[in-house]
Amino acid sequence: MPLINNKVGDDGTTSSPKTLEEGKVLIDSLIKVVACYRHLASCVGGCTDSLHLRDELRLTREKAQKLAVASRHHLTARLRDKTLPQEERQEMELLWVAFTSSLELLHADMCKVFNMGSNFSLINNNTLVQTGIQGETSEVTARALSLADLTRAEDQVPAILEDLEQSQLEEEIAHVDVMLEDMEEKVNVLRWMVEARGPQYVEPASTDSASLGLLSTDEEAGPQSQQCCERSQVFMVLVLCSVAVVMVVLSVCVVYLS
Amino acid sequence: MTIRNVRDHGQRFRPRMACLKKVEAVMLEMQDPKTGVKSQPQKLVITTIPHAITGEDVVTWLANRYTIEAEEAWALGTMLVAFGYIYPLQDHKRLVIKPDTALYRFQTPYFWPAQQWPVEDTDYAIYLAKRNIRKKGVLEMHEQEQYNGLHKWMNHKWDFIVMQAKEQYRAGKERKKPDRAVFDCQERAYWVVHRPPPGTVSAMDYGLERMVDPNAEEKETSDFFRRIMIFTQQSIMRPRVKSSVSIGALVKYSITCNKHDPFLAPCLPSNPWVTDDVTYWLLNMANVDIPTKMRVERWTFSFGELLSDPRGRDDFRLFLKKEFSGENLAFWEACEDLKWGTAATMNEKAQQVYKTFLARGAPRWINIDGKTMEVTVKGLKHPHRYVLDAAQTHIFMLMKKDSYGRYLKSPVFKDTQKRAIGPDQHRFSVSQLEANARKRRPSISPIIVRQQEKEERARMATSGPVDITQVMSKLSNKGKEVPPPKK
Repeated sequence: MPLINNKVGDDGTTSSPKTLEEGKVLIDSLIKVVACYRHLASCVGGCTDSLHLRDELRLTREKAQKLAVASRHHLTARLRDKTLPQEERQEMELLWVAFTSSLELLHADMCKVFNMGSNFSLINNNTLVQTGIQGETSEVTARALSLADLTRAEDQVPAILEDLEQSQLEEEIAHVDVMLEDMEEKVNVLRWMVEARGPQYVEPASTDSASLGLLSTDEEAGPQSQQCCERSQVFMVLVLCSVAVVMVVLSVCVVYLS
Repeated sequence: MTIRNVRDHGQRFRPRMACLKKVEAVMLEMQDPKTGVKSQPQKLVITTIPHAITGEDVVTWLANRYTIEAEEAWALGTMLVAFGYIYPLQDHKRLVIKPDTALYRFQTPYFWPAQQWPVEDTDYAIYLAKRNIRKKGVLEMHEQEQYNGLHKWMNHKWDFIVMQAKEQYRAGKERKKPDRAVFDCQERAYWVVHRPPPGTVSAMDYGLERMVDPNAEEKETSDFFRRIMIFTQQSIMRPRVKSSVSIGALVKYSITCNKHDPFLAPCLPSNPWVTDDVTYWLLNMANVDIPTKMRVERWTFSFGELLSDPRGRDDFRLFLKKEFSGENLAFWEACEDLKWGTAATMNEKAQQVYKTFLARGAPRWINIDGKTMEVTVKGLKHPHRYVLDAAQTHIFMLMKKDSYGRYLKSPVFKDTQKRAIGPDQHRFSVSQLEANARKRRPSISPIIVRQQEKEERARMATSGPVDITQVMSKLSNKGKEVPPPKK
């Protein structure tokens, strides 16, 4: 699988890409957008749920659907081509599996958001669940849409009313449904013949794991070891200070002796 | 992609989970800033996260809201945690509510359990892959096993799973640190509920799935009324037993079988499911030489019990051999064989049975009345699985009324009864129980058991039953011509 560029410059143009690389890039972007959609969907109904969040969901959804339609055209065209060499066909089938799986995830998330949207209606000022989330999700949306920054006016009221949005969502769910069924019929990919090429485990990321680990272990250990952690932090500070003092003393000695 | 025959949109109904709607209503009430549960911020080393609630607050709120006792409120709170609507912040694997200052938090609605949607294995695989990203080797043993299993059977989409896990991790990094921590806790709590570690009780046990929503109101069409009419007509025509009679039978059954039920009376020597000691099973195997006292006692309850126990049947067969009336039991066994055997061998078996037992002058002719014989012979022209049912029932009743009584008074049975063993109850200490659990081994393979049974049967067939007619024809001159069996 190729390296993922965070800000991939695709915009779902209508011209169909001709190379294998472009197909991979499309699928990768689709996977990225689906992942971002899931993060956004997990905030619905919680205390940060707002019209902005719903708007962000809508934008992400639309982007995902555009990518899906483009990938579908590309993949269907390539897979129906009988003259495709075997190696490329296998690659295409892997992409096909990735495409259908991400579409299924998107479908499931959309259904959940639709259900939650009807339960947690913002207009009727229902109570939202206090989940502990505090921040905004605009960065996630920006990542999904491949924009450097999601600019929105602070008091911009989204143009779409809630009912309209729900019905639109329903239509989109039906659309994705139809797409999935169509795909099953049009292209015959034997799932049991497709073999994954990648590793079983994801390579562990080295960056930023420490602080996150700190947060989670703190939550696990409980109030007692919070004090303990604070105590151990104080201890570390003391050790560092003593090391610094020793260094100063050594340098002074060096200065004196030389 | 998932292999799905029905794109169900949540139309697989899980009726037992219909209570979730009510639980959601309770949850929403708890959120009210004025009348709901009081929340406090949770202080961590570098930040504070709001909306933490204590266990005792939840329990008190429930007790006040529904005017119930503290114990019941405690049980209700545990149910909320077990379903996954509230998750504990410390000790996240134990899904109980502790009515003290232990901290909990509400789960986000995305991760609430849903009646309509099943929990997908793809999502679980993605979650486990994400856990691996943060730190390699952090999966527990059961999670590791499940991960390997999923890798095997979902292999075709493994690339997708790995990619999606990476993308979700990266998307998560775009969020602020406290939010990221909260999201991780939420996800972890979700999976503790839906993929519980082994040995824990899961609240998500929802029974069978149904294709029709049992909560939905049924439309009153003519078909609906027709079904009601058929149902009521059939229930009028059904023969009924007086409740005094049926209850009397139930009471008698309970009294006789009370000591033989392993739930109600201790199993001798010890219940293998409890103590991991398989002596009980070894003593009660089908081909054991000396049966246990309890087993022999069960043979006296009814003739059906005697026949269904293979050791009992062997004993009965021995008795009948001594009385030279073994053909009844042999016929009964042949009928059972026909009923439960494969369809391919049915014709052949039916003909064999006719030749051996039913034809005039057959070597092991059984004594059934004329009418049954007529019906059976007519049926044998087009044999099917249950063609010998009438004859079998007749022979069964014959054996039950006649031979069974004599068997129970016979020296064969009395001898078996005398020799039967009554093992003492095991008394294991805790360390011995642990040792037993460690020494657990799978029992003898059923394939080997079946082979042994086949050999046993072959041996019995070759040793040959003692037929009165064979004996008689040997004694007299051998000129008697056996007429060819009618087809």
